[in-house]
Amino acid sequence: MSELAAHFGMVYESLGSLSAMAASVADPAHLGGGDAGHAAGHAVVRLGTRMGAKFDVPGLFALIPFIPLLACVLCGVCAALKVRSKLPAAITVGSLLVCFGLTVGLYAVVHANPGDYAVIHAFDWINFQWGPSSAQSLTANFSFYADSLTTLWMLFVTGLATLIALYASEYMSHDVGAGYCRFFAAFGLFVFSMACLVMGDNLVLLFLGWEGVGLCSYLLIGYFYKRPSAVAAAKKAFIVNRIGDIGLSLGVMLAFVQFGTLEYMYLFPKLEPYLALAQAGRWTEIPLTVQLIPILLTIGAFGKSAQLPLYVWLPDAMEGPTPVSALIHAATMVTAGVYLIARMYPVFLVSEHALMIVAWGGALTALLAATIGMAQFDIKRIMAYSTVSQLGYMFCGLGVMSGVGGPAHVFTHAFFKAMLFLACGAVMHGFAGQLDLRRLSGVGRMKGWRIVTIAMFVGCINLAGVPFITAGFYSKDTILGDAFANTHTQWIGWILLFTAGLTAYYTFRVFFRVFVGPAYYEPGDELHGADGHGTDTHGSDGHAGDAGHGGHAGHAASAAHFHPHPPGWAINSVLIVLAVLSFVAIILVAGEQSWIHGMVFNSTAGAGIGAEHHALFFGFDAHSAMKVISGVVAITGIAIAYFLHMAGRTTAATARADKLLPWLGPIPAWAQNKWYVDEFYHFLLVRPLWLLSVVFSVIDKVLVDGLVNAFGWAPRALAKSTRPLQSGILHDYALRMAAGVAIFVVIIAILGGREGGAKAGTGGTDDQVGTVGTVGTVGTAKPVESQRATADLSEGASR
Amino acid sequence: MSLLLVLLLAPLVGAALVGVLPERLARRVGTLVSLGCVGVFLVMAGQFDWSRSGDDQFVTSGVWFEPLGLRFSMAADSVSMLLIGLTVLLGPICALASYTAVTERQKTYYAWLLALQTAMTGVFLARDLVLFYVFFEFTLVPMFILISLYGGSNRKHAAIKFFLYTFTGSVLTLAGLAYVALQSARATGVWAFDFESIETAARGMSFAEQKWVFFALMAGFAVKVPIFPVHTWLPLAHTEAPTAGSVVLAGVLLKLGTYGIFRFALQMTPLAAYEYAPAVAVLGIIGIVYAGLICWVQSDIKKLVAYSSVSHLGFCVIGLFALNGIGLSGSVLYMINHGLSTGALFLLIGMVYERYHTREFKKLGGLASQMPVWSTFMVFFAMASVGLPGLNGFVSEFMCLLGTFQAGGSATWTEFGMTPGRFGDASLLPGGTFGNLGPWFAAVAATGMVVTAIYILYMVGKIVWGEFRAPGHEPGHGGHAGHADHGALPRDLSRREIGILIPLAVACLWLGLYPSPVLRVLEQPVANVVQQVQQDVKSWGQGGRSEVGAGDGDRVGTVAGVEGER
Repeated sequence: MSELAAHFGMVYESLGSLSAMAASVADPAHLGGGDAGHAAGHAVVRLGTRMGAKFDVPGLFALIPFIPLLACVLCGVCAALKVRSKLPAAITVGSLLVCFGLTVGLYAVVHANPGDYAVIHAFDWINFQWGPSSAQSLTANFSFYADSLTTLWMLFVTGLATLIALYASEYMSHDVGAGYCRFFAAFGLFVFSMACLVMGDNLVLLFLGWEGVGLCSYLLIGYFYKRPSAVAAAKKAFIVNRIGDIGLSLGVMLAFVQFGTLEYMYLFPKLEPYLALAQAGRWTEIPLTVQLIPILLTIGAFGKSAQLPLYVWLPDAMEGPTPVSALIHAATMVTAGVYLIARMYPVFLVSEHALMIVAWGGALTALLAATIGMAQFDIKRIMAYSTVSQLGYMFCGLGVMSGVGGPAHVFTHAFFKAMLFLACGAVMHGFAGQLDLRRLSGVGRMKGWRIVTIAMFVGCINLAGVPFITAGFYSKDTILGDAFANTHTQWIGWILLFTAGLTAYYTFRVFFRVFVGPAYYEPGDELHGADGHGTDTHGSDGHAGDAGHGGHAGHAASAAHFHPHPPGWAINSVLIVLAVLSFVAIILVAGEQSWIHGMVFNSTAGAGIGAEHHALFFGFDAHSAMKVISGVVAITGIAIAYFLHMAGRTTAATARADKLLPWLGPIPAWAQNKWYVDEFYHFLLVRPLWLLSVVFSVIDKVLVDGLVNAFGWAPRALAKSTRPLQSGILHDYALRMAAGVAIFVVIIAILGGREGGAKAGTGGTDDQVGTVGTVGTVGTAKPVESQRATADLSEGASR
Repeated sequence: MSLLLVLLLAPLVGAALVGVLPERLARRVGTLVSLGCVGVFLVMAGQFDWSRSGDDQFVTSGVWFEPLGLRFSMAADSVSMLLIGLTVLLGPICALASYTAVTERQKTYYAWLLALQTAMTGVFLARDLVLFYVFFEFTLVPMFILISLYGGSNRKHAAIKFFLYTFTGSVLTLAGLAYVALQSARATGVWAFDFESIETAARGMSFAEQKWVFFALMAGFAVKVPIFPVHTWLPLAHTEAPTAGSVVLAGVLLKLGTYGIFRFALQMTPLAAYEYAPAVAVLGIIGIVYAGLICWVQSDIKKLVAYSSVSHLGFCVIGLFALNGIGLSGSVLYMINHGLSTGALFLLIGMVYERYHTREFKKLGGLASQMPVWSTFMVFFAMASVGLPGLNGFVSEFMCLLGTFQAGGSATWTEFGMTPGRFGDASLLPGGTFGNLGPWFAAVAATGMVVTAIYILYMVGKIVWGEFRAPGHEPGHGGHAGHADHGALPRDLSRREIGILIPLAVACLWLGLYPSPVLRVLEQPVANVVQQVQQDVKSWGQGGRSEVGAGDGDRVGTVAGVEGER
């Protein structure tokens, strides 16, 4: 049929070696296709959902999402009691630590039952049954689904949340007593929502978490709510996400109508027959409604994970405090889309085009965001575009049927990108909000900035994908290898490879500009670090407001006395832990039989594993070739960055670079202006919609309401025209009365002549008409109708 | 004397009491009586047998006017109970919300507020058609007085428009009901106005007759809901009404329309309801998007929230006309939820208005720094209104949409790529139900999710976030003490004000996180309605949709339906 059909057909037949591996990782009895051929090398693995058996876990684990919620409530109480200490941070860090501990416990239990899943019921949410059939009930409870994919996500979500909360306890310290409680309340709420998203056992609870993290994102992006840009960014994030959510919710509804359930444990088994059809390439036999579900879900995933065309909110989201950018907008929330697809992977496999859409969306986003990232000057924004770009890689990973690559890159990216953001945040914190890479240099040479610089370096080599010593290299390499190993996604492979070079370049552009070279800085305009007082977020005491936000002119004087203040123990220790973890991740993701491979393979996300095949890359095995080539590309990118931004920071070199610029034409300017996508949306979507609203508003006032008013005015106008009749002149009245009588007489004469025969009947029933009995006797016969009418008339007249 | 009568008459007695006692006691008596009603309701809820939630309970019946078969018959099933619960909950809240807002002619105010509660309770309890109608119309009188005496600058015009508009609609409803009563009397030989005999009579009518009765019923209910295009009285009435008036109007009075559709339009004229479901749903969906977009360009906060009611109730309407369990119960739940969240929004706006005497976005903004507690509540209820999962709005909105989505007649599914040849009959889809809407309706209605987010966040962004702006304040001087003209009110919310918001917030959270008990008690009444409709439509369909009208099975009816609504 299409390319993919052929691809599938070929794919599933060349799985001999992999099926043997499958048997070693998961108990074959638990595989969807239990007959997985491990006898001969050429047997075909049956595509299945890879759902194992259900097992029980202690109900204690149902507390995982609720502990952060409790922390949120307690922070709210702190806000109500006007607590002026770091108590909210202590509460949040403590509870997240407990939460992480429980997650590790859950991981241990799940790990002991590879391939199986547990469902933990907390309480009923939407539980409704109005008839016997499945269409007549709707079950979506607060129940949690735990398999290895769940625990994989939860481990890094709760782990990173704990670390970042600790970091934030110091980072946000200038807001103690002001927005501090609000910040940590939203933080706790975020972890609760994220846990619901990841652990929910049904799509509606996933949707709760999905929108819940969106709310927290909204609240935290808009944390500095006096800044119009922050408010606008928060609004934009929420609304763009909502556009995606339409797709998600319609996908959920379609899934319900198609399968009669939204609970994973009942939903996935219903896909088995379709998976068999998909494997055989018999796409026409799979209903379009089934094939449409993943495409609708993809719209949601693209919104939440900031992919084309819905990525525009994420760069703006950097208006939020940096810990928020690190946790929500880099490490966890934005990977929700990847999680959704990984979780629903069996659904995606039964659609002919869904995975292709995912892959192309991801590839184009990766490229576009990288080009924008190259031309920005705000280091936090560069990191934001890099996040968008890396998320594109993750989607590609899923789209090219690399079941492991996507989640693996999520996992490694979570650590190094969080670390990069936190390092940027430390710089921002220390240099009074300065983020412009032209105004900072040689931070690594300054006193007290060594740990930040090392962390930044570790993050940069991971993001650039420096070969063999970084986890980022291995996870990215898996995706690249799979893209090339698949004959029909090689174009995507080339795009990703090119993007990898760009990534290495812009990453080290930041590093070379900001952290090495001659020490130089200009402080930013947020001097909260200097006076320790702060960006006034609460405004409860008056004078702080001006210091935080306002005039920029007045700061020239104070800038002279400015000294950067290096981070304290909380920020440094978190950076150290993250740096160590990003190396530990190498062990977890490197190699064919890695830990992460098992984690993915033992869940429904592993349904696609085995779909891999081995197209050759210029005569070499694609995976092996990529190990070398992507390494070379990364090093090349770094080298270019070195020449342009490190070695070339002399005036002569700058002049040379300036000569290069015209050669590129308007491209750098366009990239710097983000390819004018925002403007495009503004003039093509936002403006017209607003104009439409204005038009509607006018229509409502003039036409819809005008019509109503016309109805109201008509009687009045009529009355006005007849009002002169009430003249008060006696002979006028007498004349009209006479005329009236005359007309009546004529009418009666005519009527009387015609209905003379019916008169007797009318007279006869005259007395009885009002009573019930009469109505009864009148009955239903048609001929009596006219008689009844006259009876009523005469009754009316007699009263 | 049964509890039901106590609940019904206590506010009326209270109103009389307010009239007799001196002015300074008025608000206290008003509050106490409405609080008493909450108590009575709770006792009633305790006695209600929730396991037979679909049956009428507390049946109270007395002779009213024997010759016409009018009876003073009242009862409650779970739908009535839920809506009455909302009514009595809003009672004391409205009374307490008016302490500082209404300072003159308090006796009249609280007396009519209490009388209004009796009228609304009566509507939900009535089991006799005429009794229903009397209460239904009686709600207009107190509301008229509340608006015209205690409203804003244009209050007279608003009150008259409100009264005449809804009254005109209801007269048509009365005509429809009277016609059915007449048919019933003809068939049985006895005048009877109790719901059951009316329903039986109406269901016995031909499609051609049902059609006209349906149009007549909808004429009144659609104005009340209000459904596009007969909604224009609402923004005006809301903007001019005093805060408590707006709360009751949005909270309960609009629900009289949807309740009427639920009780009468669906149950009396199922064939027409089925046939014209697409037409009504189209109007509902137009309302969702059209009114939502209008919200976005409002300059007055209260008007924005007023238009948002039109938009929100569009979801409620499509849920009703999904004619399946999920849609209907979602819709009933929506009635409650909208009352809670929109009621709270009106309260919040009233609180700000009392402090700054303006509701213009241009003049007012950035209140987060001045009124953090108020802002917290504002964001909370705004999110409830957006339909954020975890808060009440989501559950009902999702159910309305899902009900609409799955209510696909097989025609819809065929358009959607389901051909009987490939996977059998579409009705065999595991999650599809009987109904005359379908995925396309839900898909277009779902765009309302974005529109809602746009205007609600626009509102929150303007009024909660940003630099503090208020009349007499230069922007930028954030930290200084608030407006001088607060009267007795503190800068942020007083304890009384927090006290009236907290019950609403708790209810929103409860219905958002644990709606299951409420959904469960709706199972029976909803199933009854659906069964009736389904049974009638099926036998009608088996008879080849014989009885004239739009009987040839295509969608001709849609166009006619739109015409009929206007």
